[in-house]
Amino acid sequence: MQASERPWQTLVGVGIVLLLIPLAFRMEPARFQPFAQGSTWRFLALGLALTLEASAIAILASIPLAVLFALARHSGPPWLRYPVIVVVEGIRALPLLGLMFYLFLRLSALGRQMGLDALTRPDAAVIAALWLYTGAVNGEALRAAILSLPRGQWEAARALGLTYSQAMRLVILPQAFRRALPPLVAQFATLVKDTSLGAIIGFIELYRRGVILFQGERNPMETLYVISILYFLINYSLGRLASMLEHRLGFHPGLR
Amino acid sequence: MNPADVWHHLLLGLWTTLRLSTASMGVALALGTLIGVLRVAPVPVLRWFAAGYVEFFRDIPLLPVLVFVYSGLPKAGIRLPTSFDSAVAGLGVYTAAFVAEVVRAGLQSVHKGQIEAALSLGMSFLQMIRLVLLPQAFRMMIPPLGTVFIALVKNTSIASAIAVEELLYQAEFVIGRTFADWPMLVAFFLYLVITVPLSGLVNFLERRLRILL
Repeated sequence: MQASERPWQTLVGVGIVLLLIPLAFRMEPARFQPFAQGSTWRFLALGLALTLEASAIAILASIPLAVLFALARHSGPPWLRYPVIVVVEGIRALPLLGLMFYLFLRLSALGRQMGLDALTRPDAAVIAALWLYTGAVNGEALRAAILSLPRGQWEAARALGLTYSQAMRLVILPQAFRRALPPLVAQFATLVKDTSLGAIIGFIELYRRGVILFQGERNPMETLYVISILYFLINYSLGRLASMLEHRLGFHPGLR
Repeated sequence: MNPADVWHHLLLGLWTTLRLSTASMGVALALGTLIGVLRVAPVPVLRWFAAGYVEFFRDIPLLPVLVFVYSGLPKAGIRLPTSFDSAVAGLGVYTAAFVAEVVRAGLQSVHKGQIEAALSLGMSFLQMIRLVLLPQAFRMMIPPLGTVFIALVKNTSIASAIAVEELLYQAEFVIGRTFADWPMLVAFFLYLVITVPLSGLVNFLERRLRILL
Protein backbone atom coordinates (compact mmCIF):
# COMPACT_ATOMS: atom_id res chain seq x y z
CA MET A 1 0.00 0.00 0.00
CA GLN A 2 1.38 3.34 -1.11
CA ALA A 3 2.54 5.72 1.63
CA SER A 4 1.48 9.03 0.12
CA GLU A 5 1.56 10.82 -3.19
CA ARG A 6 4.38 12.99 -4.42
CA PRO A 7 3.66 16.72 -4.82
CA TRP A 8 3.37 16.53 -8.62
CA GLN A 9 0.94 13.62 -8.34
CA THR A 10 -1.21 15.56 -5.88
CA LEU A 11 -1.13 18.55 -8.21
CA VAL A 12 -2.22 16.36 -11.13
CA GLY A 13 -5.07 15.23 -8.87
CA VAL A 14 -6.01 18.83 -8.08
CA GLY A 15 -5.96 19.45 -11.83
CA ILE A 16 -8.40 16.56 -12.35
CA VAL A 17 -10.70 17.96 -9.64
CA LEU A 18 -10.52 21.44 -11.17
CA LEU A 19 -11.35 19.95 -14.58
CA LEU A 20 -14.28 17.91 -13.28
CA ILE A 21 -16.01 20.79 -11.44
CA PRO A 22 -16.74 22.94 -14.56
CA LEU A 23 -17.72 19.81 -16.51
CA ALA A 24 -20.06 18.53 -13.79
CA PHE A 25 -21.84 21.86 -13.39
CA ARG A 26 -21.70 22.83 -17.08
CA MET A 27 -19.98 26.14 -16.53
CA GLU A 28 -19.96 28.30 -19.66
CA PRO A 29 -16.70 29.81 -20.95
CA ALA A 30 -18.61 33.05 -21.67
CA ARG A 31 -19.25 33.47 -17.96
CA PHE A 32 -15.51 33.58 -17.27
CA GLN A 33 -15.35 36.67 -19.49
CA PRO A 34 -14.88 39.17 -16.57
CA PHE A 35 -11.62 37.42 -15.76
CA ALA A 36 -10.21 38.44 -19.13
CA GLN A 37 -10.20 42.05 -17.93
CA GLY A 38 -7.40 43.66 -15.99
CA SER A 39 -9.82 45.70 -13.88
CA THR A 40 -11.35 42.51 -12.41
CA TRP A 41 -7.93 41.32 -11.32
CA ARG A 42 -6.99 44.69 -9.87
CA PHE A 43 -10.24 44.63 -7.87
CA LEU A 44 -9.45 41.13 -6.57
CA ALA A 45 -5.79 41.92 -5.93
CA LEU A 46 -6.83 44.67 -3.49
CA GLY A 47 -9.00 42.13 -1.67
CA LEU A 48 -6.18 39.63 -1.62
CA ALA A 49 -3.89 42.29 -0.15
CA LEU A 50 -6.44 42.96 2.62
CA THR A 51 -6.77 39.23 3.32
CA LEU A 52 -3.01 38.80 3.60
CA GLU A 53 -2.64 41.99 5.62
CA ALA A 54 -5.29 41.02 8.18
CA SER A 55 -3.80 37.50 8.46
CA ALA A 56 -0.27 38.85 8.87
CA ILE A 57 -1.26 41.39 11.54
CA ALA A 58 -3.22 38.73 13.42
CA ILE A 59 -0.41 36.19 13.38
CA LEU A 60 2.35 38.65 14.33
CA ALA A 61 0.26 40.15 17.12
CA SER A 62 -0.65 36.66 18.31
CA ILE A 63 2.96 35.71 19.07
CA PRO A 64 3.29 37.69 22.35
CA LEU A 65 -0.17 36.46 23.34
CA ALA A 66 0.86 32.88 22.53
CA VAL A 67 4.02 33.22 24.65
CA LEU A 68 1.92 34.55 27.52
CA PHE A 69 -0.61 31.72 27.22
CA ALA A 70 2.08 29.05 26.88
CA LEU A 71 4.16 30.29 29.83
CA ALA A 72 1.13 30.82 32.08
CA ARG A 73 -0.10 27.35 31.33
CA HIS A 74 3.31 25.70 31.46
CA SER A 75 4.67 27.23 34.64
CA GLY A 76 2.41 30.02 35.84
CA PRO A 77 1.11 30.25 39.41
CA PRO A 78 -2.27 28.52 39.93
CA TRP A 79 -4.25 31.78 40.07
CA LEU A 80 -3.01 32.56 36.55
CA ARG A 81 -2.76 29.05 35.12
CA TYR A 82 -6.36 27.94 35.62
CA PRO A 83 -8.03 31.06 34.21
CA VAL A 84 -5.68 30.86 31.20
CA ILE A 85 -6.59 27.21 30.62
CA VAL A 86 -10.30 28.12 30.70
CA VAL A 87 -9.82 31.04 28.31
CA VAL A 88 -7.61 29.14 25.85
CA GLU A 89 -9.80 26.05 25.77
CA GLY A 90 -12.94 28.19 25.61
CA ILE A 91 -11.73 30.22 22.64
CA ARG A 92 -10.71 27.08 20.79
CA ALA A 93 -14.07 25.41 21.45
CA LEU A 94 -16.15 28.32 20.10
CA PRO A 95 -17.01 28.96 16.45
CA LEU A 96 -14.77 31.72 15.12
CA LEU A 97 -17.65 33.42 13.31
CA GLY A 98 -19.55 33.78 16.60
CA LEU A 99 -16.48 35.28 18.24
CA MET A 100 -16.09 37.72 15.35
CA PHE A 101 -19.73 38.74 15.50
CA TYR A 102 -19.63 39.27 19.26
CA LEU A 103 -16.40 41.29 19.12
CA PHE A 104 -17.92 43.37 16.34
CA LEU A 105 -20.86 44.24 18.61
CA ARG A 106 -18.66 45.05 21.60
CA LEU A 107 -15.88 46.87 19.76
CA SER A 108 -18.25 49.03 17.73
CA ALA A 109 -20.17 49.96 20.90
CA LEU A 110 -16.88 50.77 22.62
CA GLY A 111 -15.65 52.72 19.60
CA ARG A 112 -18.79 54.86 19.53
CA GLN A 113 -18.50 55.50 23.26
CA MET A 114 -14.88 56.58 23.03
CA GLY A 115 -15.27 58.32 19.67
CA LEU A 116 -12.73 55.98 18.08
CA ASP A 117 -13.82 55.43 14.51
CA ALA A 118 -11.29 52.70 13.80
CA LEU A 119 -12.86 50.43 16.42
CA THR A 120 -16.32 50.61 14.86
CA ARG A 121 -15.11 49.18 11.55
CA PRO A 122 -15.44 45.47 10.80
CA ASP A 123 -11.66 45.24 10.17
CA ALA A 124 -11.02 45.77 13.88
CA ALA A 125 -13.37 42.96 14.92
CA VAL A 126 -12.00 40.59 12.26
CA ILE A 127 -8.40 41.17 13.30
CA ALA A 128 -9.24 41.03 17.03
CA ALA A 129 -11.10 37.70 16.64
CA LEU A 130 -8.34 36.19 14.50
CA TRP A 131 -5.73 37.46 16.98
CA LEU A 132 -7.42 35.88 20.00
CA TYR A 133 -8.13 32.63 18.20
CA THR A 134 -4.64 32.33 16.75
CA GLY A 135 -3.09 33.30 20.07
CA ALA A 136 -4.89 30.39 21.71
CA VAL A 137 -3.93 27.93 18.98
CA ASN A 138 -0.30 29.10 18.76
CA GLY A 139 -0.05 29.12 22.55
CA GLU A 140 -0.86 25.43 22.53
CA ALA A 141 1.61 24.79 19.70
CA LEU A 142 4.32 26.63 21.63
CA ARG A 143 3.49 24.79 24.85
CA ALA A 144 3.72 21.48 22.96
CA ALA A 145 7.09 22.59 21.59
CA ILE A 146 8.34 23.51 25.09
CA LEU A 147 7.21 20.14 26.42
CA SER A 148 8.88 18.34 23.51
CA LEU A 149 12.35 19.62 24.40
CA PRO A 150 14.52 17.03 26.15
CA ARG A 151 14.68 17.46 29.95
CA GLY A 152 18.45 17.67 29.69
CA GLN A 153 18.10 21.18 28.27
CA TRP A 154 16.47 22.36 31.49
CA GLU A 155 18.87 20.48 33.69
CA ALA A 156 21.93 21.77 31.86
CA ALA A 157 20.67 25.36 31.99
CA ARG A 158 19.93 25.18 35.71
CA ALA A 159 23.26 23.41 36.40
CA LEU A 160 25.02 26.35 34.72
CA GLY A 161 23.42 28.58 37.33
CA LEU A 162 20.75 30.16 35.14
CA THR A 163 17.60 31.18 36.94
CA TYR A 164 14.23 29.85 35.76
CA SER A 165 13.51 32.94 33.68
CA GLN A 166 17.01 33.02 32.21
CA ALA A 167 16.75 29.35 31.27
CA MET A 168 13.34 29.93 29.72
CA ARG A 169 14.42 33.03 27.83
CA LEU A 170 17.88 31.98 26.68
CA VAL A 171 17.67 28.22 26.30
CA ILE A 172 14.13 26.86 26.10
CA LEU A 173 12.11 29.48 24.19
CA PRO A 174 14.57 29.91 21.28
CA GLN A 175 14.51 26.16 20.67
CA ALA A 176 10.75 25.95 21.18
CA PHE A 177 10.23 28.74 18.63
CA ARG A 178 12.24 26.78 16.09
CA ARG A 179 10.05 23.76 16.63
CA ALA A 180 6.87 25.82 16.56
CA LEU A 181 7.79 27.46 13.25
CA PRO A 182 6.21 24.90 10.87
CA PRO A 183 2.88 24.88 12.81
CA LEU A 184 3.01 28.68 12.75
CA VAL A 185 3.23 28.70 8.95
CA ALA A 186 0.38 26.18 8.78
CA GLN A 187 -1.61 28.42 11.10
CA PHE A 188 -1.06 31.33 8.73
CA ALA A 189 -2.72 29.28 5.99
CA THR A 190 -5.67 28.67 8.32
CA LEU A 191 -5.87 32.42 8.97
CA VAL A 192 -5.96 33.18 5.24
CA LYS A 193 -8.98 30.88 5.01
CA ASP A 194 -10.64 32.19 8.18
CA THR A 195 -10.33 35.82 7.10
CA SER A 196 -13.10 35.06 4.59
CA LEU A 197 -15.53 34.91 7.55
CA GLY A 198 -14.95 38.63 7.95
CA ALA A 199 -16.95 39.07 4.74
CA ILE A 200 -20.08 38.21 6.73
CA ILE A 201 -19.66 41.20 9.04
CA GLY A 202 -18.67 43.53 6.21
CA PHE A 203 -14.91 43.22 5.75
CA ILE A 204 -14.34 43.66 2.00
CA GLU A 205 -11.54 41.12 1.54
CA LEU A 206 -10.87 38.63 -1.27
CA TYR A 207 -13.97 36.45 -0.94
CA ARG A 208 -16.32 39.40 -0.41
CA ARG A 209 -14.96 41.03 -3.54
CA GLY A 210 -15.76 37.82 -5.39
CA VAL A 211 -19.35 38.08 -4.11
CA ILE A 212 -19.57 41.70 -5.26
CA LEU A 213 -18.32 40.60 -8.70
CA PHE A 214 -20.76 37.74 -9.12
CA GLN A 215 -23.73 39.78 -7.95
CA GLY A 216 -23.03 42.16 -10.81
CA GLU A 217 -22.14 39.56 -13.41
CA ARG A 218 -24.63 36.91 -12.25
CA ASN A 219 -22.01 34.16 -12.48
CA PRO A 220 -21.67 32.83 -8.90
CA MET A 221 -20.31 29.41 -9.89
CA GLU A 222 -17.59 30.70 -12.17
CA THR A 223 -16.48 33.50 -9.85
CA LEU A 224 -16.41 31.32 -6.72
CA TYR A 225 -14.49 28.71 -8.71
CA VAL A 226 -11.80 31.26 -9.60
CA ILE A 227 -11.70 32.69 -6.06
CA SER A 228 -11.31 29.22 -4.60
CA ILE A 229 -8.40 28.52 -6.94
CA LEU A 230 -6.70 31.70 -5.66
CA TYR A 231 -7.09 30.52 -2.07
CA PHE A 232 -5.81 27.11 -3.09
CA LEU A 233 -2.68 28.53 -4.73
CA ILE A 234 -1.79 30.58 -1.64
CA ASN A 235 -2.47 27.89 0.92
CA TYR A 236 -0.91 25.10 -1.10
CA SER A 237 2.31 27.13 -1.31
CA LEU A 238 2.18 27.82 2.44
CA GLY A 239 1.64 24.13 3.10
CA ARG A 240 4.69 23.24 1.01
CA LEU A 241 6.70 25.88 2.87
CA ALA A 242 5.63 24.41 6.22
CA SER A 243 6.67 20.89 5.26
CA MET A 244 9.94 22.20 3.78
CA LEU A 245 10.72 23.96 7.07
CA GLU A 246 9.90 20.80 8.94
CA HIS A 247 12.41 18.89 6.84
CA ARG A 248 15.01 21.64 6.97
CA LEU A 249 14.81 21.94 10.74
CA GLY A 250 15.20 18.22 11.00
CA PHE A 251 12.26 16.97 13.04
CA HIS A 252 8.77 15.70 12.56
CA PRO A 253 5.65 16.76 14.42
CA GLY A 254 5.00 13.08 15.20
CA LEU A 255 8.07 12.95 17.41
CA ARG A 256 6.89 15.20 20.18
CA MET B 1 -39.17 39.90 23.07
CA ASN B 2 -38.88 38.53 26.62
CA PRO B 3 -36.11 36.23 27.88
CA ALA B 4 -38.31 33.15 27.42
CA ASP B 5 -38.67 33.97 23.71
CA VAL B 6 -34.92 34.48 23.45
CA TRP B 7 -34.27 31.05 24.97
CA HIS B 8 -36.92 29.54 22.72
CA HIS B 9 -35.17 30.89 19.60
CA LEU B 10 -31.73 29.84 20.80
CA LEU B 11 -32.85 26.31 21.67
CA LEU B 12 -34.52 25.99 18.27
CA GLY B 13 -31.21 27.09 16.79
CA LEU B 14 -29.32 24.55 18.89
CA TRP B 15 -31.60 21.80 17.61
CA THR B 16 -30.96 22.85 13.99
CA THR B 17 -27.20 22.98 14.68
CA LEU B 18 -27.35 19.42 16.01
CA ARG B 19 -29.39 18.18 13.03
CA LEU B 20 -27.10 19.99 10.59
CA SER B 21 -23.96 18.61 12.26
CA THR B 22 -25.13 15.00 12.25
CA ALA B 23 -26.59 15.09 8.73
CA SER B 24 -23.41 16.68 7.33
CA MET B 25 -21.25 14.19 9.21
CA GLY B 26 -23.26 11.39 7.59
CA VAL B 27 -22.53 12.75 4.12
CA ALA B 28 -18.89 13.42 5.05
CA LEU B 29 -18.41 9.89 6.41
CA ALA B 30 -19.84 8.25 3.28
CA LEU B 31 -17.97 10.45 0.80
CA GLY B 32 -14.83 10.67 2.94
CA THR B 33 -14.56 6.89 3.29
CA LEU B 34 -14.87 6.54 -0.49
CA ILE B 35 -12.15 9.16 -1.10
CA GLY B 36 -9.99 7.68 1.67
CA VAL B 37 -10.18 4.24 0.07
CA LEU B 38 -9.37 5.77 -3.34
CA ARG B 39 -6.26 7.28 -1.68
CA VAL B 40 -4.80 3.75 -1.43
CA ALA B 41 -6.39 2.27 -4.58
CA PRO B 42 -4.17 0.22 -6.91
CA VAL B 43 -4.95 2.60 -9.82
CA PRO B 44 -2.61 5.64 -9.85
CA VAL B 45 -5.09 8.08 -11.43
CA LEU B 46 -7.67 7.33 -8.73
CA ARG B 47 -5.06 7.86 -6.01
CA TRP B 48 -4.04 11.18 -7.56
CA PHE B 49 -7.66 12.30 -7.87
CA ALA B 50 -8.33 11.47 -4.21
CA ALA B 51 -5.13 13.21 -3.08
CA GLY B 52 -6.13 16.23 -5.19
CA TYR B 53 -9.62 16.30 -3.69
CA VAL B 54 -8.22 16.29 -0.15
CA GLU B 55 -5.57 18.90 -0.88
CA PHE B 56 -7.98 21.23 -2.71
CA PHE B 57 -10.72 21.30 -0.09
CA ARG B 58 -8.29 21.56 2.80
CA ASP B 59 -6.74 24.65 1.23
CA ILE B 60 -9.90 26.66 0.53
CA PRO B 61 -12.32 28.34 2.96
CA LEU B 62 -15.72 26.75 3.64
CA LEU B 63 -17.74 29.88 2.91
CA PRO B 64 -17.27 29.91 -0.91
CA VAL B 65 -18.16 26.20 -0.98
CA LEU B 66 -21.45 26.80 0.85
CA VAL B 67 -22.32 29.78 -1.33
CA PHE B 68 -21.37 27.80 -4.44
CA VAL B 69 -23.95 25.18 -3.50
CA TYR B 70 -26.55 27.73 -2.34
CA SER B 71 -26.30 30.42 -5.04
CA GLY B 72 -24.35 28.68 -7.77
CA LEU B 73 -25.91 25.26 -8.27
CA PRO B 74 -29.41 26.59 -9.10
CA LYS B 75 -27.77 28.23 -12.15
CA ALA B 76 -26.75 24.73 -13.27
CA GLY B 77 -30.33 23.55 -12.79
CA ILE B 78 -29.54 21.78 -9.50
CA ARG B 79 -32.08 23.01 -6.95
CA LEU B 80 -31.90 21.63 -3.44
CA PRO B 81 -35.24 21.96 -1.60
CA THR B 82 -34.04 24.07 1.37
CA SER B 83 -30.99 26.04 2.47
CA PHE B 84 -30.55 23.36 5.14
CA ASP B 85 -29.99 20.80 2.36
CA SER B 86 -27.53 23.13 0.62
CA ALA B 87 -25.62 23.44 3.89
CA VAL B 88 -25.58 19.65 4.37
CA ALA B 89 -24.23 19.19 0.83
CA GLY B 90 -21.58 21.91 1.20
CA LEU B 91 -20.46 20.90 4.68
CA GLY B 92 -20.49 17.22 3.65
CA VAL B 93 -18.33 17.71 0.56
CA TYR B 94 -15.91 19.97 2.47
CA THR B 95 -15.62 17.79 5.59
CA ALA B 96 -15.23 14.66 3.44
CA ALA B 97 -11.68 15.84 2.66
CA PHE B 98 -10.81 15.78 6.37
CA VAL B 99 -12.55 12.43 6.91
CA ALA B 100 -10.64 10.98 3.94
CA GLU B 101 -7.31 11.82 5.59
CA VAL B 102 -8.39 10.03 8.77
CA VAL B 103 -9.55 6.99 6.76
CA ARG B 104 -6.28 6.88 4.79
CA ALA B 105 -4.19 7.11 7.96
CA GLY B 106 -6.37 4.40 9.54
CA LEU B 107 -6.02 2.05 6.57
CA GLN B 108 -2.26 2.56 6.47
CA SER B 109 -1.94 1.87 10.20
CA VAL B 110 -3.06 -1.75 9.75
CA HIS B 111 -0.15 -4.18 9.74
CA LYS B 112 1.25 -5.04 6.31
CA GLY B 113 0.91 -8.75 7.02
CA GLN B 114 -2.86 -8.33 7.05
CA ILE B 115 -2.76 -7.04 3.47
CA GLU B 116 -0.48 -9.84 2.34
CA ALA B 117 -2.70 -12.40 4.05
CA ALA B 118 -5.87 -10.98 2.51
CA LEU B 119 -4.37 -10.86 -0.97
CA SER B 120 -2.94 -14.37 -0.70
CA LEU B 121 -6.42 -15.61 0.24
CA GLY B 122 -7.47 -14.36 -3.19
CA MET B 123 -9.47 -11.36 -1.97
CA SER B 124 -10.02 -8.46 -4.34
CA PHE B 125 -8.93 -4.94 -3.35
CA LEU B 126 -12.45 -3.97 -2.30
CA GLN B 127 -12.98 -7.19 -0.33
CA MET B 128 -9.71 -6.62 1.47
CA ILE B 129 -10.69 -3.03 2.33
CA ARG B 130 -14.19 -3.97 3.45
CA LEU B 131 -13.56 -7.24 5.28
CA VAL B 132 -10.03 -6.90 6.60
CA LEU B 133 -8.74 -3.34 6.74
CA LEU B 134 -11.72 -1.10 7.60
CA PRO B 135 -12.93 -3.20 10.56
CA GLN B 136 -9.44 -3.13 12.08
CA ALA B 137 -8.77 0.49 11.19
CA PHE B 138 -12.11 1.67 12.55
CA ARG B 139 -10.99 1.67 16.17
CA MET B 140 -7.97 3.81 15.33
CA MET B 141 -10.16 6.22 13.42
CA ILE B 142 -12.64 7.08 16.17
CA PRO B 143 -10.67 9.76 18.08
CA PRO B 144 -9.52 11.68 14.97
CA LEU B 145 -13.05 11.45 13.54
CA GLY B 146 -14.26 12.98 16.79
CA THR B 147 -11.88 15.89 16.25
CA VAL B 148 -13.22 16.30 12.71
CA PHE B 149 -16.78 16.27 14.07
CA ILE B 150 -16.00 18.98 16.64
CA ALA B 151 -14.59 21.18 13.87
CA LEU B 152 -17.71 20.44 11.84
CA VAL B 153 -20.02 21.51 14.68
CA LYS B 154 -18.18 24.83 14.86
CA ASN B 155 -18.27 25.15 11.07
CA THR B 156 -22.05 24.77 10.98
CA SER B 157 -22.18 28.34 12.31
CA ILE B 158 -21.02 29.49 8.85
CA ALA B 159 -24.29 28.13 7.41
CA SER B 160 -25.92 31.17 8.99
CA ALA B 161 -24.51 33.04 5.98
CA ILE B 162 -26.79 31.04 3.65
CA ALA B 163 -29.87 31.57 5.82
CA VAL B 164 -29.87 28.29 7.73
CA GLU B 165 -31.60 29.04 11.02
CA GLU B 166 -29.01 27.40 13.24
CA LEU B 167 -27.72 28.61 16.60
CA LEU B 168 -25.63 31.57 15.44
CA TYR B 169 -28.34 32.71 13.02
CA GLN B 170 -30.90 32.66 15.83
CA ALA B 171 -28.53 34.52 18.14
CA GLU B 172 -28.03 37.24 15.51
CA PHE B 173 -31.79 37.38 14.92
CA VAL B 174 -32.55 37.76 18.62
CA ILE B 175 -29.83 40.41 19.03
CA GLY B 176 -31.31 42.32 16.10
CA ARG B 177 -34.66 42.33 17.90
CA THR B 178 -33.58 43.03 21.47
CA PHE B 179 -30.42 45.15 21.00
CA ALA B 180 -28.90 43.24 23.92
CA ASP B 181 -25.77 41.17 23.41
CA TRP B 182 -26.21 38.63 26.21
CA PRO B 183 -28.00 36.20 23.85
CA MET B 184 -24.65 35.73 22.06
CA LEU B 185 -23.10 34.68 25.37
CA VAL B 186 -25.91 32.15 25.81
CA ALA B 187 -25.24 30.89 22.28
CA PHE B 188 -21.52 30.55 23.19
CA PHE B 189 -22.51 28.57 26.26
CA LEU B 190 -24.69 26.27 24.13
CA TYR B 191 -21.82 25.70 21.67
CA LEU B 192 -19.53 24.85 24.60
CA VAL B 193 -22.14 22.40 25.91
CA ILE B 194 -21.66 20.45 22.65
CA THR B 195 -17.95 20.88 21.97
CA VAL B 196 -16.37 20.63 25.43
CA PRO B 197 -17.80 17.19 26.39
CA LEU B 198 -16.99 15.96 22.88
CA SER B 199 -13.35 16.99 23.12
CA GLY B 200 -13.19 15.45 26.60
CA LEU B 201 -14.49 12.22 25.11
CA VAL B 202 -11.94 12.39 22.26
CA ASN B 203 -9.10 12.87 24.77
CA PHE B 204 -10.35 9.96 26.85
CA LEU B 205 -10.59 7.63 23.84
CA GLU B 206 -7.15 8.72 22.62
CA ARG B 207 -5.60 7.87 25.96
CA ARG B 208 -7.37 4.52 26.11
CA LEU B 209 -6.24 3.61 22.61
CA ARG B 210 -2.66 4.49 23.49
CA ILE B 211 -2.80 2.13 26.45
CA LEU B 212 -4.35 -0.66 24.42
CA LEU B 213 -1.72 -0.50 21.69
